[in-house]
Amino acid sequence: MKLSDIAQVIRSKNAGPRRLTLDLMFANEADYRRVAQAPTLSRESIGALYGLSADDVTVIPYPGGRAIKIVLARPVMAGDPGDRDVYGAQQHAPLLGVEI
Amino acid sequence: MSASGRVLDDLRRARRPMRFLGASGQLGYGIPTPAFNAGLAPRPDLIGCDMGSIDIGPTYLGKGEMATAPSATRRDLRKALLGARSIDVPLVIGSAGSAGAAPHLEATLAIIRDIARADGLHFRLGVLRADLSRDALRASVRAGAVNGIDDMPALTEEEVTEASHIVGQMGMGPFRRALAEDIDVLVAGRACDTAIFASLPTMLGFPTGLSVHMAKIVECASLCCVPGGRDSILATLDDDGFVLESMAEQRRATPVSVAAHSLYEQADPFTVYEPEGRLDLSDADYTAVDDRRCRVTGAAWRESTDPCVKIEGARRIGERAVLLAGAADPRFIAQHREILPAVATVVRDLVCEDAPEDYTLRFRVYGVDGVRMAAPAGEPPPGEVFVMGECIAPTAERAAEVVRTLKQYLLHHGYAGRLSTAGNLAFPFTPPEVSLGPAYRFNVYHLLRTPDPDALFPLEVEEV
Repeated sequence: MKLSDIAQVIRSKNAGPRRLTLDLMFANEADYRRVAQAPTLSRESIGALYGLSADDVTVIPYPGGRAIKIVLARPVMAGDPGDRDVYGAQQHAPLLGVEI
Repeated sequence: MSASGRVLDDLRRARRPMRFLGASGQLGYGIPTPAFNAGLAPRPDLIGCDMGSIDIGPTYLGKGEMATAPSATRRDLRKALLGARSIDVPLVIGSAGSAGAAPHLEATLAIIRDIARADGLHFRLGVLRADLSRDALRASVRAGAVNGIDDMPALTEEEVTEASHIVGQMGMGPFRRALAEDIDVLVAGRACDTAIFASLPTMLGFPTGLSVHMAKIVECASLCCVPGGRDSILATLDDDGFVLESMAEQRRATPVSVAAHSLYEQADPFTVYEPEGRLDLSDADYTAVDDRRCRVTGAAWRESTDPCVKIEGARRIGERAVLLAGAADPRFIAQHREILPAVATVVRDLVCEDAPEDYTLRFRVYGVDGVRMAAPAGEPPPGEVFVMGECIAPTAERAAEVVRTLKQYLLHHGYAGRLSTAGNLAFPFTPPEVSLGPAYRFNVYHLLRTPDPDALFPLEVEEV
């Protein structure tokens, strides 16, 4: 099953100009738990998806909101020359097809 | 007596839960009138609007321009002003004019004074400035009191000098000082969005953790609801928690929707850092009052012993011009990774014949890898692409020269197997080269350690 088949929300945005924050939200406990345990959401796997090292990836489970937060170090600061997404609102796309 | 004095007096005489109206999370993009008016009916003790964010990028801060349209900004400000004056409660506006530096603040104040004149309003206006003294900041850099945020490189005195504008994010202290001065309307330059709402209740002894948590949610209006939206939201705060209720009937604040909101644009869902301390949400609890109201408890406040102010600055890095063009030839699309650098070399050899290579030229190929940080290998080629060539050069003339030359040589570049010898590009309009004005980058995104952060943000009070 793909992450886009199970998550209710998959979104990205800046958390300040040097970090991207990706939120995965789920409709129920079971979906949340299933994804929270998925090896495809390890720091290494996410890093590979974004061309980053695992050190630039943080994964924070947030059971109270039935959500998982992923924080990435932006390779290019928001608005710097070469940035592709100043708000960081379209960087969720690589997550959609992640197999759970 | 003015509005803030009256509210403080009322609450000190007879303590009761306080009501806060989060009118708009992005003033200048429209405040829906029905929900705003519904929010005036229970007579909130304060109406707050956030006007700015760092998300919009460095250009607005650097250039000193608002992100919002002047007429829309005026419409929103007028709605908020008339609403607040009609029920005689303080109106608090943070991060004036999108980026909160002097030109943004002045532009916002000019609109407010103009509305007051046109509508015959009279009020006491408090103004908090957020621009930092360059001399003092250079001294702080020398003293080692400035540290980069999120691995931002160390700040240098040269960067301080070169920044077009540098602002600090003021916290609750300056807002409290202003609200204590008996004012009706408070307009702040760059400010923590939480300070807009949390300053008044903490003056009255309401718990700081709850006040800041409430503020963090209502500054985004009804974004914490399902469905989320920009309609005004009402929060009712007591000593043990607060209740959230959207002023738009269809938006429900549910325990999950409100809890999930603490993820929004935050790197850490359990901690919010403020100049005076940090909000600890580890024990925050969300319960349904009914199907559209949520009660929130449990937020704790950890006072800092080492106060810090987040500082932001933007520096001009040149003038930007772009070429906008599409392509649909499969051979061109298949070979674009060779074609674009080859044409860039042709352009360089021409425009640098009698001038230094003083510009940068970058391409984004939309349809292939224009958006994603790392597009995966092996994706099938798209049927069409959109090509943007972006030049940043010392002058607008130079940037225009580069993109105009680029247009001509990319249009007519011969590549292996080319069939379409009349032209490689589809222009959606002409001229396809657009001069975008000065380009900026954030060159200050740091924490300034200072024993007295409030002293950085002077208050002026005027009678309008």
